[in-house]
Amino acid sequence: MASRLLWASRAASYLRISVFHRGFSSVLKDLKYADSHEWVKVEGNSATVGITDHAQDHLGDVVYVELPEVGAPVEQGSGFGAVESVKATSDINSPVSGKVLEVNEELNDSPGLVNSSPYDKGWIIKVEVTDSGELKNLMDADQYSKFCEEEDAKH
Amino acid sequence: MVDRFCIIEPKRRVFLECVVLQEMRVSRSLEVWKMGTINYLDALRLQEQLVSNRKAHKIPDTLLSLQHPPTYTLGKRRTDHNLLIPESDLKKMGAELHYTQRGGDITFHGPHQAILYPIISLRDIGLGARNYVEKLELTMIELASLYGVKACAGQAGETGVWVGERKIGAIGVRISFGITSHGLAFNIDPDLNYFKHIVPCGIANKEVTSLRKETDLVLPAEEVVHEQLISCFARQFGYSNLLWKENGLIS
Repeated sequence: MASRLLWASRAASYLRISVFHRGFSSVLKDLKYADSHEWVKVEGNSATVGITDHAQDHLGDVVYVELPEVGAPVEQGSGFGAVESVKATSDINSPVSGKVLEVNEELNDSPGLVNSSPYDKGWIIKVEVTDSGELKNLMDADQYSKFCEEEDAKH
Repeated sequence: MVDRFCIIEPKRRVFLECVVLQEMRVSRSLEVWKMGTINYLDALRLQEQLVSNRKAHKIPDTLLSLQHPPTYTLGKRRTDHNLLIPESDLKKMGAELHYTQRGGDITFHGPHQAILYPIISLRDIGLGARNYVEKLELTMIELASLYGVKACAGQAGETGVWVGERKIGAIGVRISFGITSHGLAFNIDPDLNYFKHIVPCGIANKEVTSLRKETDLVLPAEEVVHEQLISCFARQFGYSNLLWKENGLIS
């Protein structure tokens, strides 16, 4: 069903006909996105990392977040922690390389913040970024929205 | 599908039709390993290797079908307060205990319990953890229904498969780079006394049950039930092409 909708919208945009889009998960404009559904907000040398609305929706209710140690190194594309939901632990990968400056301790008592506020109170770690050039490997908001649509159309 | 594209110029329409039909015909393959009884750590090491191979696209989606000797396992949250007897007592009764990286709480695996460990790429089929686990639940619900047993998925926070207030199937999964490991355990006819030494899945005051206890029908040989479970899984996940592997040979 979803793949037919995707074909219809592609055909429609080719013909420049407007198509009604059903609502998708929210995507924020100023953030960068990894294809493993993490977001990063860069402010100077430091970056805040979390998982996206699409990710939390597909995970289900988060009951546990495994956080790294402050000071631990992180690498773009590599795992730094995990979340547990519906008896599944899912690795979280870092969108940037660097060193962990801070972890969101609130998630120990309130892991559900990842679901209710994925871009704000549900932030997971803050990183001192070592290579800002790596950001070009990430998607912007529009690219990420399209990526999510294509992924959802697969089944 | 055809009328959706009839407004496009004729040449394009033929091309688009061909592409759409192509998409519909692609079959998905699943390599099924029937392993018999295998030690927990051996199975874990095998899964780690398979996950790595699957991530590198060296192997297709793979399903391990097996059972374990008496083994207790804990998930990533290490909820060992739900083990009600000392670890030394477990050794005396011939059972092992393992801490793992899967989701979920404490559980027991043993003879006459059918286990499936799918090593599949969720990204390739666009599934998230929640949908994946739902399909694992449906796999076991479908199997139970073959024997006239009405099972259902658990309510919020009680992932698994239940017959009334009694748990017949458990799930505990790990997802790394979108590749799954660990999986599900369905009680055909295990010795349910082993569950008395734990708070199963961290849920107190709920019993554990088995297909033997719940069905009025005579159960066939266990290998038949294992194969039925595999078929239910293949159906739920849309695999049309199964490659069977026994004793290291593809048949």
